[in-house]
This record gives sequence, structure tokens and C-alpha cells, in this order.
Amino acid sequence: MIPAIGLLVGIVLGLLLQPTVPVWLQPYLPIAVVAALDAVFGAFRSVLDGLFNDRIFVISFLSNVLVAALIVFLGDQLGVGSQMSTGVVVVLTMRIFANVAAIRRHLLKA
Amino acid sequence: MITVLFIVLGFTLTAAISGSANDSILANARQSDLVSLLDDLAQREARLEAENTRLENARETLLGGDEYSALNEAKRRADALGVLAGSETIVGSGIQIAITGNLTASTLIDAIQELRDAGATAIQISDRGLAVRIVANSWFADSPSGVTVSGTALQIPIVISVIGDSSVLVPALEIPGGLVDTVGSGGGAVKITESENVDISAIVPLPNS
Repeated sequence: MIPAIGLLVGIVLGLLLQPTVPVWLQPYLPIAVVAALDAVFGAFRSVLDGLFNDRIFVISFLSNVLVAALIVFLGDQLGVGSQMSTGVVVVLTMRIFANVAAIRRHLLKA
Repeated sequence: MITVLFIVLGFTLTAAISGSANDSILANARQSDLVSLLDDLAQREARLEAENTRLENARETLLGGDEYSALNEAKRRADALGVLAGSETIVGSGIQIAITGNLTASTLIDAIQELRDAGATAIQISDRGLAVRIVANSWFADSPSGVTVSGTALQIPIVISVIGDSSVLVPALEIPGGLVDTVGSGGGAVKITESENVDISAIVPLPNS
């Protein structure tokens, strides 16, 4: 419950402050957000499985974000930045779908 | 800790969304597209810069000079515009194209377009007695004994007089599928003469406005 409120607070803060994303961060931010969403859905699923662990969640959240940004950074350096971000987004989206499917089975039994 | 992460997630989510909404067209464009976009802008800037310089110069002359130079500038522009509008007679170097045999209006239009693309300044079409100046709103139609140009029926053979650079105009007519080719395949003949004194005497009266 508290994390959900935290998410809302973050969204409201973002809407109120209208932050401008620094240029050097612009290619990585969307990827990092998708990676974080993947970690969040994974956490939600493990809560339902009864396997949730804060430490694992925090570490997976941070490492997901870092690794995703790192891969895109590496792609940028190799000159395939846009393809690399597409690849990362595809993989993360597939994971999100898999997690959502597990969550759906738990909640709706379908 | 988890709550902090969620706050950060919500914050970056809105930041990413509002950030990408602003300049999505440029942000999603490929590097080559951006380069060509930049090139376009640079070329346009150079063009506008050149025009700016020209206008500045004209302004300097008009402001600094006496009335004569202003009058001369105005006359020069009136002459140039008169030639384009067809309200001035003109004698200059160019070519004369004599056409005999079959000629349709569409062939003639193609030829006129080709001449204009090749930088023709003034064009006139004449037969033995009548002459018509070709301007922006000239029109062409087929008629039993030749072609009708802007309401004047011309009898074949006709002569097209063109003022312009003959070294550009002649190849423009001789390209495959051009005037010489088309008329030749229809059984006619085209004779091109280069001249230093092409006389374009037909004028289009200026509309009263």
C-alpha cells in the first residue's frame, strides 16, 4: 500500500515540477523506466507467490535499471544505440507480459 | 527504501513522458535524416543571407544615392518585370526554331516548358503574319490548320523565337523525346537557327487593374 502511495506521490511531483530531462540522460531514461517497471511487475508477482523479499526487490530494481542503461550506453558507443534500445525494450516488455500473465492467473484464476 | 524507489519511478516516469512529448519528431529521427534536415536549413539560411545582402545593397543605393539612381533602379526592375510579363519588346541573343509538318498543342506545350526550364527569358510564337508572346497564362489548343495560342490561330509552319543562352536552349530541344525528336517522328521538320538579334516584337497588353 505504501509503495503505491509512493508511486502516486512521485507522479504528482513529476507533474507539478515538470522536470526537464538533461540531454545526456535522454536516451537512457525511457529504458531505465521500462526496466524499473519490469522489476515492479516482478515484485508484484513474487508478492502474490509469497516469495517477496525487500532486499531482492531493491537490488533487482537498481541492477535492472543500471544494466539496461549500461547496455544502451554500450550500444551508443558501438553505433547501434537505437537498435540496442529497441532490443532492450522488446526483452523487458516480454518479461513484463510474462509477469502480468502470472499475476492475472493469481488474481483472476484465469 | 521501496517507497523511495517507487517515488523515484513515478517521478522519472512523468519526466520521461513529458520529455518525449516535447520533441518526439526530432528525437526519433535517424541521424541521416537529421543531417539532411540540417543541410536544408543551412542552404536555406545561405539563400536568405544572400537575398538579405542583395536587399541591403539595394537599400543602401536607394538611400545614399540621388534620385537618378533610385529612378534607374526602378526602371531596371520595370524592364526586367516587363520582359517576364511580356509587356515589353525585346531584342537579344537566342534561337529561332522553325517547325514544319504536324504539330500538336501538347507537343508545343512540352517544347515551351523545356525552353523555360532551360532558362528562356522571353518566348514568342509566330507564323507568316501573326505573332503571339508566351507568358505565364498563355494557352494552347489544336486547330484544323495548326495550333491556337492564347486565342490566335497560327498556321503551320510556325517559328518560335526564344531569348536565352543558346548553348543551353539547343540541347534542351534535341534531347531524346524532345521537340526535335517528336516532330521528326511525326513527319515534320525542325530547323534551329542561333542568332544574336532575335527580335521579340509581340507584346501582351497589361490588364487594367
